[in-house]
Amino acid sequence: MGRFIARRLVQAVPTLFGILLLTFLLSRLSPADPVKLMVAGNFDITPEDRAVLYHDLGLDDPLPIQFVHFLGDVARLNFGNSFYYHRPVVELIGERIPNSLQLSLLSLLLALAIGVPLGVIAAYNRGKLADHVIRITSVAGHAVPTFWFGLLFVTILGVQLRWFPIGSMNVVGVDCVFCWDRLWHIVGPVITLSLTGIAAYPRYLRTEVLEIIRQDYVRTAQSKGLRDRSIAVGHVLRNSLIPVVTLLGGILTIILGGSVVIERVFNWPGLGRLLFDGLVNKDYPMVQASVIIGALLLLVSYILRDIAYAWVDPRIKVR
Amino acid sequence: MATAQTAVARPTAPVELRRASAGLWSDALYRLRRDPTTIAALGTLLLLVLLSASADLLADNVFQWSFSKQDILSSYEKPSLSEPAMVLGSDELGRSQVVRLLYGGRVSLSVGAFAALVSMTIGVLLGISAGYFRGWWDDVVVWLVQTLANIPTLYLLLLIGAYFRLNPVTLTLLLGLLGWLGINNLSRGQTFALREREYVVAARTIGATPWRVMTRHIFPNVLPLLIVVAMIDVGAVILTESALSYLGFGIQPPVPSWGNMLTNATQYSSRAAWLIYAPGAMIFITVLCLYLVGDGLRDALDPRLRGSIGGAAATKKTA
Repeated sequence: MGRFIARRLVQAVPTLFGILLLTFLLSRLSPADPVKLMVAGNFDITPEDRAVLYHDLGLDDPLPIQFVHFLGDVARLNFGNSFYYHRPVVELIGERIPNSLQLSLLSLLLALAIGVPLGVIAAYNRGKLADHVIRITSVAGHAVPTFWFGLLFVTILGVQLRWFPIGSMNVVGVDCVFCWDRLWHIVGPVITLSLTGIAAYPRYLRTEVLEIIRQDYVRTAQSKGLRDRSIAVGHVLRNSLIPVVTLLGGILTIILGGSVVIERVFNWPGLGRLLFDGLVNKDYPMVQASVIIGALLLLVSYILRDIAYAWVDPRIKVR
Repeated sequence: MATAQTAVARPTAPVELRRASAGLWSDALYRLRRDPTTIAALGTLLLLVLLSASADLLADNVFQWSFSKQDILSSYEKPSLSEPAMVLGSDELGRSQVVRLLYGGRVSLSVGAFAALVSMTIGVLLGISAGYFRGWWDDVVVWLVQTLANIPTLYLLLLIGAYFRLNPVTLTLLLGLLGWLGINNLSRGQTFALREREYVVAARTIGATPWRVMTRHIFPNVLPLLIVVAMIDVGAVILTESALSYLGFGIQPPVPSWGNMLTNATQYSSRAAWLIYAPGAMIFITVLCLYLVGDGLRDALDPRLRGSIGGAAATKKTA
């Protein structure tokens, strides 16, 4: 297992390099002048001051040199100061990451807790009413724009019926992470963010489970006289863990990417919201850092997924 | 033995197999005509395309209200049948919601279709060539795919949207440039399998150029699957575009798109909730129809594939 993890980490290096190269090139190709944005509002800045700032930021170096400096900064997690908050970007992101993690982990758990059983139920009731209902809801769940679902949640259950709060993480004055108040606030964003996963799992898993049911070992288990329930849990569900993990990559991307929109809809102060605010405020260091941190989080979760993959399917390790 | 087998097989064989096969496309058409869901979805889709294509005509003659016509006195008009232009109410500036939906449809549908076309082209070219030539070229393509897959698409789109000012054309190109991963993986995988088939080996043996093998022997065999994925892709692009426009970094007002119509609507949700329902419902219906047509086409083109590329749709969704 140790060797497998080591190999997987080495494989991540070119990807990491690609991510950093892309974000670096995009920021340098941009027509926006960082010095101009930095000193926006200061009218007593002379051209000489600008030149000094330009030199201090290393913007007069050749591109490859700038890239090397950029890599050094990223390695030390030095993303500079936010143009808007005038504080180190890393600090700001660090404050938001727990909020994002709470939201995305709960969404992932909800997607698995609902989606996986639905997929198994659909396969076991193939062609029956339950199968059709699950298939239709699954297609609909795919097609619905997630942010619109969130807007509907806020408008109908929040604004009109007042069952749920219309945004933020806690009632004003309350500050807690694991409590009823937080739970009440997180219901909407979690349901919205897990929607795609809930829709995707049954669709994907149904085919896989149907395939597994046809396998010889299931027939052997049946002829041994095992009860249907213990076959379903011990043989079918265990083997369907492999497709569950396969789909995890896509679901993680959706949850992380979707958080920008969902955190905006529900006014959830996470990483996605920070990125959005950075975009609105033209706070480029913030935007660049959020994108890099977001991609890093995704890279790490992909690696974790592959480790989980090797764990549920030992054949992977050998390959 | 052979007769015994056919005797067993006959009762389970689907009705459609009794008809003599008349080639891939006409068989597909035959099956498609017997699939009411797909026909209904296709009909709805055509109606939507027709309606948005004739937006100018309808706005001038039926509604007599241009998409930018404002009338402060009739702002926040509730949906009513008193006036054709007010069937779906009006927004905060007294603009007709139904006319704006028509024009928004024109933007959303064409962005979706053309972006999907761009990503199909890139995905097929890279996928087939990487699968055919393998070696270092395949490594490069895989590296590109992994890098892009590791940055949430929405993050990347927002990053580029922040650095560069996007118009509908550049936005379409960008969505196409970032959306080819799924098609690439599919056609690359198919090519891997097809290039070892006897007829491809035979073609190579008699000296067919790689270009000829790829265009004449491999591409036609990948095409049926591509058409299915294209439908899913158009839907996915429409969803991404709407999320991006909702955040304010996609289609810019005053050009209406279904996504950016929702940006303002949220501010007035307590006063004019109908502004939230219609644009989202349009996106939902359009994408739902695209997915249903995709599913139907897949089953019609190759009944054995039933349920197999559903998972691809799951990983396509970004918002």
